[in-house]
Parts: sequence; structure tokens; C-alpha cells
Amino acid sequence: MDVLTGEHVALRPLEPGDAELTLAWRRGPRARLLLDGAGTVEEQRAWIASRPPTERNFVIELRDGRPVGMLSLVDIDLVNRRAESGRFLIGDEEAVRGVPAAVEAMLLLYRLAFDELGLERIYGIVAEENRRMIKWQRYLGMQEEGRLRRHVRIDGRPCDVICLGLLAEEYRAQAEPRMRALIAAAKPRKEMVG
Amino acid sequence: MIAQLDAVAVEAIIIAALEALNEELDDADKIDVGPDTALFGVDAEIDSLSLVSVIVDVETALSVDHGLEVSLTDDRAMSREVSPFTDVQALKGYILELLEERR
Repeated sequence: MDVLTGEHVALRPLEPGDAELTLAWRRGPRARLLLDGAGTVEEQRAWIASRPPTERNFVIELRDGRPVGMLSLVDIDLVNRRAESGRFLIGDEEAVRGVPAAVEAMLLLYRLAFDELGLERIYGIVAEENRRMIKWQRYLGMQEEGRLRRHVRIDGRPCDVICLGLLAEEYRAQAEPRMRALIAAAKPRKEMVG
Repeated sequence: MIAQLDAVAVEAIIIAALEALNEELDDADKIDVGPDTALFGVDAEIDSLSLVSVIVDVETALSVDHGLEVSLTDDRAMSREVSPFTDVQALKGYILELLEERR
């Protein structure tokens, strides 16, 4: 699987050797709203090693090689031309301060999905109380398609999730331009000249 | 309606959006809100998720409360020498510029 390279970040394939780091990220406070995962490093390593070919799992790296998060495209269905985006987490917030890592990582994933794989549709679910993520995804073109009631448990409580979807034409008309604008917004002033 | 939106009013809309953002953030992540708050970039106070939250709230306030349909993340915003999302003052200046063109 190829590395997807952007201006600020790259997406490189998740490997079993990333088990300890990614498990630590998932145990951090910012991962509270993600679905439950492995409990130990060994379980995480085994989980990574067992990913099926219908998934593309990535580590988000800064251009200097520092890993800062993860992102996946799963349930890739080339017959129906759809896939689910998920497992999205910036694990090292301090390292990405001032870097549009989240936006560019998602843009690279969308380019893979729509431009390289030729998919028609990307979809995903987000916990209802993860309001910033829902607002972010909607602003970047995702449409709200429904609600799954009590679909997950967060902190021991049943929670609804919001179903979101993005079509190829919506990606090209809205998501991609807005993502490029947000990436440009993070540039230092001197890089904006000329 | 447009003429009533001066610099003070626009800054108040941005500050209100930042205060609304703070309500969604964990205590450890809350930001100091004020007219000089840095937004997105090398001196960033907020990440891209939070920036979008602010953009959405500002665009919504301009639309719902003042009848102004403004897109803050278009090609024009990208091409500016100074990013309009650098800090509160840069964003205020950019919005006022957009509004001035509509007068």
C-alpha cells in the first residue's frame, strides 16, 4: 500500500509496530468519543495484523516523520463503490499546533476514495455528543443521513450516533475547495505572499 | 441592515462564536477569548475542528441575525496575503471588507 503525501502530512500504512503508540492515543482523553478498541498492546498488535484487504488503515505523519494520528477507510466495496471513513484521531495535539493535519489527512483520504478508487460515496457515524466533529464534517460537505439510537456506549452510557455521507460530486463541489481553503489558512504569512 | 454592522458588531459576533466554542471544549482545552485571540496558524489557539466551529457560528450569525450570506472559506480567502483566520482582528477585517463590497 502506498504512502499518500500531502503538503503538511503524509498517510502511511498502519503496521503492527504502531500498536503501542496507537493504543496510547486511543486511551487519551480525546479518544473518549471513539468506539471501544483493544485493551492491551498485544491485542492492538493482533488487531492491526488482522486487518482485511477491504480496509486502508493509516498513520498520519508530519513531513518530518513524526506520527501524530490515525485515519482509516474501511468496508471498501468496489462493486457498490462506497466505503466508510473512520478511526479518525489526532493523538498528538501539541505536535500539530498550527498545522492543518486533520484537514489535510482527510483530504488525502477523500482523494484516495474518490479519485483513485473511483468511489461514489463515503459515509460514517459520529457520536451525537461529538458536536465539533459533526459540525466539522458537515461544513466540509458531509450530509446528515440519519440517526442510530443508542448505537454505542460512551463512558458506560448508551449514546445515539449521527450517520453522515458524502457523494463524489459533493466532495468535488464543496469538500475539496473548503479543505484547500482551511489548509491555506494555516500557512505563515510569508508563504501567503505571491 | 448591512449598514448597522460595524466593526464593534462584527467583533462581537466573532467573540460570541469563540465563547460558544469554549462551551464545547473540555476545561483543559478552553481558550482565552478576547479581541486579540490568535485563531489558526503558527500561533494557533485552536485546531481546525474548532476553527470550523467558529466559522460556522459566524456565518450562521451573519445569515440568521443579519440576512447576510457570506462564505468565509472561498478561493478569495485562500489567496489573501494575510490569512483571515490568523486572529480575531484579521477575521474581523476580512468580514468588514466583504460587507463593505455589498453596500
